[in-house]
Amino acid sequence: MYSRAWVRVRSTYGEPVWVAVNLAVPLLSSLAMALLYRSTGLSRFTGFAILGGVMLAFWGNVLWSMASQFNWDKEVGIFEIYLISPAPISAILVGMSLGGILATVPSAALVTLIGWRFFSLSVNPSWVAVFLTFILTLASLYAMGMLLSSLYLVYGREAESLNNAIGDPINLLSGLYFPSIGTGSPFPFAVQIIASLIPLTIGMDALRKSVFYGGDVEAVWLDLLILAVMAGVLLFLGDRAMKALEERGRREGTLVVRLR
Amino acid sequence: MRLLRSILASAWMGWQREMNWTNPVLSLFVKTVAPTAAVLSAAAVYWFGSSFAGLFTPERLAYIVVGASMYSQVAAYAYVPTSAIAEGKWSNLYPQVYITPTSSIPYLAGRCIASFADSVPVIVISLTVSYYVSFALFGAPPSITLSIESVLMIGGALVLSVPAAVALGYVLGSYSVFVSRFEWALPSYVSGLLMIFSEALFPATILPYPFSLIPEIIPFTYLMRASRAALIYNSWSLYLNSMEYLALGGIAFLLGGLIVFRSAENSARSKGFIDKKVM
Repeated sequence: MYSRAWVRVRSTYGEPVWVAVNLAVPLLSSLAMALLYRSTGLSRFTGFAILGGVMLAFWGNVLWSMASQFNWDKEVGIFEIYLISPAPISAILVGMSLGGILATVPSAALVTLIGWRFFSLSVNPSWVAVFLTFILTLASLYAMGMLLSSLYLVYGREAESLNNAIGDPINLLSGLYFPSIGTGSPFPFAVQIIASLIPLTIGMDALRKSVFYGGDVEAVWLDLLILAVMAGVLLFLGDRAMKALEERGRREGTLVVRLR
Repeated sequence: MRLLRSILASAWMGWQREMNWTNPVLSLFVKTVAPTAAVLSAAAVYWFGSSFAGLFTPERLAYIVVGASMYSQVAAYAYVPTSAIAEGKWSNLYPQVYITPTSSIPYLAGRCIASFADSVPVIVISLTVSYYVSFALFGAPPSITLSIESVLMIGGALVLSVPAAVALGYVLGSYSVFVSRFEWALPSYVSGLLMIFSEALFPATILPYPFSLIPEIIPFTYLMRASRAALIYNSWSLYLNSMEYLALGGIAFLLGGLIVFRSAENSARSKGFIDKKVM
């Protein structure tokens, strides 16, 4: 676990250009959405856009550096090394998640700083609630990444197209830049229920409450409970799916086939 | 004639790469889902913000839906050189292109044309779906007028944006020829900056001075303006004015792009960068 996390952290902090590379999409998307809020005449919601950019940095990392990672590892021949090593695959995935979180922190921090500088955000945070929500959102989000990673193991070059396809719909449903559940949501109740199955939706809702409206732990306890349950369930499902698909891949001989 | 054949062969290859990795219907569906969701995200942000401020108007919703839909095409162009050159270096395809007598200039032009061809149906579908979903979600349809005339006007604007798209391909291609790592970095920044500076979501006047001047020199801004003139304002004078700037800007950018790419390719050949694989 430590080794895989270290590789990811070292690759980012040893090559700071990575921070600039990872910054592009979350920074420019959140600036565009913040300017869109400003153009509607309601600048006080620009903070929603910047918070969305911060979480987009982590969600992008889950999608591109967790879910599809094993596919790339298969292509370049690293995955077969994981298989013959005594380390359990789930430990490698947890290490990848921890390393991914630490590697994404600089990009997320820069989005916050730049957003703060340009839009003079008005926040009213309840720090304990913010901290707990943030940690539990990341835990459930990366647990989802582990589940996706195992599912993507069965895909070939479709993985990249699938990633491109699911990124924006999840941004929309999870309300990365606007409330998608509860008060202010444009979605009908049935869509809100579906959206609530995505950890990012619950996390964004709780983060908005605790960062902008001073919601303390009491105000977001239900969100925290749901996030904790989601993290546990997704971790369990990810582990089971990985074992099942690894077993199937070993039987069918598809785990070490290079795609190009 | 040989040049045209090279361009068509490259366009066909680009089409195969983008659309033929699975069956065409699934491929089109997968390509359409993300831009449509992105259009709806922008529309939802507008609805949420303007409803609170009591400033919601169907005209402004239409402005965002049309701009965000057209932006999906502009963003697609930014990734063509990465897939054509950076990925081509990795898969050994690009070195085989540049040793051909016609060089890689028609190859990139063909790949941009393929991107144009596969993103036109994406725009049509995402615009249509976004129109109806916006109507259902926000209770007011975006004020878009669809007629044979407006469709022809949009078609003309899209065709006239091709030189600017090819120019963007050449400029970003010059970067792709040299890089062997971080090949996605510049296209990601360029597509993100175009979202802010091409009037895709909001008018240039929202930007602080002097940033508000930047959209005036970007040809894609005039694609947005021409599309809105056709679909929202139904104004021939606005449309023709934007088309004029789109054509002139596109040609100027194309000439500049050709010069930049030609010198970058020559330099990369002599320094051996073209054979360096992306890792």
